[in-house]
Amino acid sequence: MPKLVRIERRESDLHLTYDDEQELTVSYHDLRHACPCAHCSPLRNEDETSLKLRSQVESFKLHKPSVNPVGHYALNFIWENGCSNGIFRFERIWDLANRRDPDGGKPYVHGAW
Amino acid sequence: MAESPITTHDPKNEGQGQGPVQASPQQNKEMEKNFAQMKRKMSMEEIGLKIKHKIMVLSGKGGVGKSTVSTGLALSLAQQGLKVGILDIDITGPNVPKMMGLDGHKLHVEGGRIHPAKGHLGVKVISMAFLLDDPDTPVVWRGPIKLGAIQQFIGDVEWGNLDYLIIDFPPGTSDEPLTVSQSLPNIDGMVIVTTPQAVALLDSRKSITFAASLKVPVLGVVENMSGYTINGVTAANTSVEIAGPGGKTIKSTSDENGNFSVTLDIFKKGGGKSTAEDFGVPFLGALPFDPGFVRGGDDGVHKIVSDPEGASSIAFSAIVKAVQAQISDKPSSSLEII
Repeated sequence: MPKLVRIERRESDLHLTYDDEQELTVSYHDLRHACPCAHCSPLRNEDETSLKLRSQVESFKLHKPSVNPVGHYALNFIWENGCSNGIFRFERIWDLANRRDPDGGKPYVHGAW
Repeated sequence: MAESPITTHDPKNEGQGQGPVQASPQQNKEMEKNFAQMKRKMSMEEIGLKIKHKIMVLSGKGGVGKSTVSTGLALSLAQQGLKVGILDIDITGPNVPKMMGLDGHKLHVEGGRIHPAKGHLGVKVISMAFLLDDPDTPVVWRGPIKLGAIQQFIGDVEWGNLDYLIIDFPPGTSDEPLTVSQSLPNIDGMVIVTTPQAVALLDSRKSITFAASLKVPVLGVVENMSGYTINGVTAANTSVEIAGPGGKTIKSTSDENGNFSVTLDIFKKGGGKSTAEDFGVPFLGALPFDPGFVRGGDDGVHKIVSDPEGASSIAFSAIVKAVQAQISDKPSSSLEII
């Protein structure tokens, strides 16, 4: 995985630049739906609750989040409303930017990394 | 407005004996908590700038000598004239103070800031041991409480300017190293301590993988308790045989003065180096099995302090140089966020 070197917060998405010069995007809706916190993650285990989570994040007004690095390995996004607890590992952001399921199709298990 | 954590000022009520609406005690408590957290976060960022280099010392298995290596690294760096601190993150089994001759010491708190104790060679020390009234008192805390204590140890301590902060962890890859790597900015890397036997190596391999998942560089592997050397005297130019571990005979020949030495590989040998090679990380060196570390730890006078020219001090010095060679003075390229 290339190294993420630049994040531009745009109106409705993140514009990501990697050190191999790839430029990718992640929409705020996709990012918030993929929140890896212990509250949001189990909601993606079932289609019904996952759709509810999706419609909830899509109901929020679009705005640029604050971005805080977590150690060397992850980012935390702070939103004006809804959940801001998720710690997004760079691998997760890379998967989202490449339109892959960051959970790899696996259900969430509490406590597992 | 009663639900709001913010007090209001209504000019219409002025002079009518009705002051501004006050926040409830619970709201005040919540605001104080948030304010303390904000202050701590700012302090952590400041610490990231005031302390040039931060090194985590980990192992997968207990009893391999992490605290001995942590204190040894700190003292060896201090011998170079550098300003050094040790943060003992082993909440339930803190023993760095005893090794640093600070047994029974109490911390000084002023203006809400904790001032570290000063041990041998001016090394600053923070440890849970300083907060226990009785050394036999167990610390029975679940993860979140430990997390809070660790964040206090990082954010509320007045370290001042340091060249190096050595962080000593309990064994394993759980709450403590995870919290530190999330809270403390610009960590230079991890030193993984192991002994040569397979059981310790198995756990050390997990520590290396853990470092990779946190994107914290592995500065290298230290093999501790690597060989116990026996020195003796016999007739000049005489062949000597010693019964070594596993029934193996170790042979040596005395010199013209009758001096001889043999090294017993009590816990095998070379496992640290081969593990480092397997993972493509540096091997920092091997430390001999030295009973002087045990006595020094118990007496509060580290072997590096009591015998600065001895074999163990020389081995530590070589390891410190290997660590320093991995560390750059240039700030690492950071992520640009706009």
